[in-house]
Amino acid sequence: MENLRWIAAAALSAYACHFAVHHTTPIDHALPLLALAVTFLAWLSYPAVMLGVPLLIVAEIVIADEPMRLLAFGAILAACCAITIGAPASSRPVRRHPAGTAMFAIVAIVLLRWIPLDRVLLGREIFLIAIAVATVFVLGRTPFAVAVAVLAALVTPAVPLRTLAFPLAVLLVASAARTFGLPAFRLTWPSTIVLSFVILFFSWSGIVARAFPYFLREAKPPAKRTQIDAIAPNRSATYDVPDGAKSIIVSGANVAHLRRGALLGKIIVSQQSAVGSRQEAPTPANCQLPTANCIDVRIGDAADWGYLRREHWYRAHNPLPRDAAGTVREYGYAAWIDGAGRVSLPRGARRIRVTADATLPADASLQVEGFE
Amino acid sequence: MIAATVLALLVLPLVALRGRTLFRYFAVDAGTWLFAWLLWRRIPVPPTHVYLACVAVTVIKLATFSLFLALGKQVRWSANRAALIAAIVYALTIPAMLRAPIDGDEPYYLLVTDSVVRDFDLDLANQYRTRVGTQWRRDDLVPLFGDPVGKHGEQYSRHEPFLALLMVPGYLLGGLYGAVATIALFGVLLVRSTVRWMEDEGIAENAIRGVFPFFALAPPVLFYATRIWPEVPAAFFFVEALRGVREYRVKRWIPAVLGLVLLKLRFVLVAIGIVASARKKLALVVLVVPLLVVWFITGDPTNVHTWRELIPLAPMQYVVGFCGLLVDGMSGLLFQAPFYLFVIVALTSWKTTPRGFRTGILASLLYIFYLAPRGEWFGGWAPPLRYLVFLMPVLALGIASVWDKLPRVTIALVSAWTIGLLIHGVAFPWRLFHEFTGENAMGEWLSLLYHADFSRFFPSFIRLNDAAWWALLALVLFGVRRQRLRFEIPLLALAVAIGFHCARQPGRTIHFEDAHVLHDGGKLYPDHYTLMRATYRGGWVLEANDSVSFLAREGTHELHLITGLGATFEVAGRAYSVGSNERYQTVFVTIPKSGRVTLRVLSGAINADRLEAR
Repeated sequence: MENLRWIAAAALSAYACHFAVHHTTPIDHALPLLALAVTFLAWLSYPAVMLGVPLLIVAEIVIADEPMRLLAFGAILAACCAITIGAPASSRPVRRHPAGTAMFAIVAIVLLRWIPLDRVLLGREIFLIAIAVATVFVLGRTPFAVAVAVLAALVTPAVPLRTLAFPLAVLLVASAARTFGLPAFRLTWPSTIVLSFVILFFSWSGIVARAFPYFLREAKPPAKRTQIDAIAPNRSATYDVPDGAKSIIVSGANVAHLRRGALLGKIIVSQQSAVGSRQEAPTPANCQLPTANCIDVRIGDAADWGYLRREHWYRAHNPLPRDAAGTVREYGYAAWIDGAGRVSLPRGARRIRVTADATLPADASLQVEGFE
Repeated sequence: MIAATVLALLVLPLVALRGRTLFRYFAVDAGTWLFAWLLWRRIPVPPTHVYLACVAVTVIKLATFSLFLALGKQVRWSANRAALIAAIVYALTIPAMLRAPIDGDEPYYLLVTDSVVRDFDLDLANQYRTRVGTQWRRDDLVPLFGDPVGKHGEQYSRHEPFLALLMVPGYLLGGLYGAVATIALFGVLLVRSTVRWMEDEGIAENAIRGVFPFFALAPPVLFYATRIWPEVPAAFFFVEALRGVREYRVKRWIPAVLGLVLLKLRFVLVAIGIVASARKKLALVVLVVPLLVVWFITGDPTNVHTWRELIPLAPMQYVVGFCGLLVDGMSGLLFQAPFYLFVIVALTSWKTTPRGFRTGILASLLYIFYLAPRGEWFGGWAPPLRYLVFLMPVLALGIASVWDKLPRVTIALVSAWTIGLLIHGVAFPWRLFHEFTGENAMGEWLSLLYHADFSRFFPSFIRLNDAAWWALLALVLFGVRRQRLRFEIPLLALAVAIGFHCARQPGRTIHFEDAHVLHDGGKLYPDHYTLMRATYRGGWVLEANDSVSFLAREGTHELHLITGLGATFEVAGRAYSVGSNERYQTVFVTIPKSGRVTLRVLSGAINADRLEAR
């Protein structure tokens, strides 16, 4: 009877959220799923956790700004998860059910990987959940076990299929370690913080998984794309620097396989020779070494434009640009940012010549996306 | 201010928490700071909202502390510690409240204080003349309509002078801040007395700790303890009187009753109840004192009131006032301090409740009997629940006595709403005051956001609507239910979702002064701050070429308007003419299709009251 009540409560909550959907993103459309998740967490822990459902609805209704609304959803879910997994040992709620922690891991994985629903590869996802559940049991059903299982699942793109080897490897290592006497670490607080962090940004879980430090950095408004020029290897293009511009936005095309530090091209800066003079200094003839007026653009300053897409990430070796200027695209596990990065220009730069490195592959190019 | 807030948030747990509870609190505290910092970096908060974000973080951390205080296993608790916690929170809240100029009766109390300090009299004529209020950002102060005038042109305040006298030392020391600090001091004393009273009545410590944050750190007590109103000092005197009566200590409760009645004449009605319960007929003499004081100052023992106000009024006015105090969206307990509605549980367990609770409730019945039918039962131009603040300690005692019977899920729900109220009130103190239009802050805000009539889904007994009766029914169901369904939260979520869905559709009645109506020209009738505004038929005055647009249903509607000039106007593309008349007229207008409709005055002028679907 008690469980029937919970099922009815879950159905009511999901129906209420379905009614409240007002905005158009896949996250908003997944509100009923979020309500089910919250109800499930409440069933696992404290009934008061269900408070998350009306809060989700209120956030949907009152917050028009999209990033703020999606972050509000994340904050509500993160709070629900933190209460469920991080409650004091004396009343640890997930202990009420023998498989409570495993169930929590399933909820977390669904939240992180199953939105948008139409992009879910069902067979692979179920297999991944099975591995995660096994990992939780092997590591002793502790919060730490949940954190390990969820993080392993999160960073597994599951495309191509061979990437499922990673969570399997984690499971094998965990099994071996436990066999050789590794104790069941609890690490409740660190695990709670880590899980809350990934859930906080579940609306862009793909970026959390594939470009981790992005959400630790300060948000900047997306760079304005004023022009997009693809410069082929060993070719160059000259641009007038707009007034007040401090940096140039560049990215690469077909350079995802290059590693950090690989040269993408050079920027040769020409400046006014003196204040008030219209005469330009001559362009440095020999730009072998980087100077203030001769800037190397490398992988790390910018990256392949689409390397963070789920399908491409497995083969990519690019790191997240140091000063990422990419736009956040799509939602949930399909979310990604393009590999554009900001390269600072010296003060007083009036004109630049951008040259793509001659060693780039024939089909690669250096893309100039604008100034900022 | 930020440094003081951070310091206070660090000190609060040290006052009451110990051992593992303290350690866990600081762990959660560090976690919440971390996540607040993360969100701060990720959310592009507009400069206008930075303060709101800071207030939100502070209130959430205060709520976290309250949670640990209520549920912690290692807590050092006493009435003095409770008072210290309240003092810290009130000290932080005062600057937040004073971001906006003092409003309502506040500057008038302060004028009296200023007059006492500077002139040693109660004549405010020179205060008005020299614009003393400028120092509190109120250079617009003029005598109120009906304020007593002396034989030689003295201009007195309608407010009793006792509160102003109490604020004299504080005002001398710190001006406006000192005066507010005096009230806050009474708030601290109130908290201490209430906690002691609960202990005397045998309430379990866990229940006191659970009730304490809702009482001391939440609306309405928090807002009234940090502003200049006589309500919190009155609550203190009321509690002291009840404690004195309970302990048969005449020397305690007689001065307390005297203080209570000197603060406001209306508290004589409460004092009668206290004296009756104490069965000391001689104490009735105390009740004459405020009448004598007022008579001495103004020449009339009832001041701006009349004896006629004691004659019972029409029954419906009692229903409206009493139900409004319970569930009205702008001024009722349900929306402004929902925690106190748990008193229903205590009232249904009357015989088992503490004696102090029963005495307090019985003592205040006469007061409520005369409050409910009054035109300004909601408190007039003041923060919500003004006329009930003095009763809050009694309600808190009753709730504490049934603490273990209260459904935890509902407490969680109430907590979330209270946190929202607190954030809103502290971040936007000027919004604690609301015009008596039948709307409330939330309904107005949503109406502005969606340009649809959300206000009709918030119960109003000021401008009676259907939602008012539904809310009342829900309250009755909450009161009579015996079984825990565990469906409170999903049902609330469903109600909110359905309400949101329906609110975006056109309503049956459109009030033209409401926030959802887009006004292109014209003006509000009656003007803002009109005395007894709730007694008028509100509307929007439109002259030639002024227009309003709103969502309306397809079909025939009755347009209620008044025009002294006669007018021709257009609704949904059809023209209508009305002749001049000194009474309200009804014009039948047809709207061909549901959606946004424009009413434009082509010539003449109208005061458009409302549009009702037939």
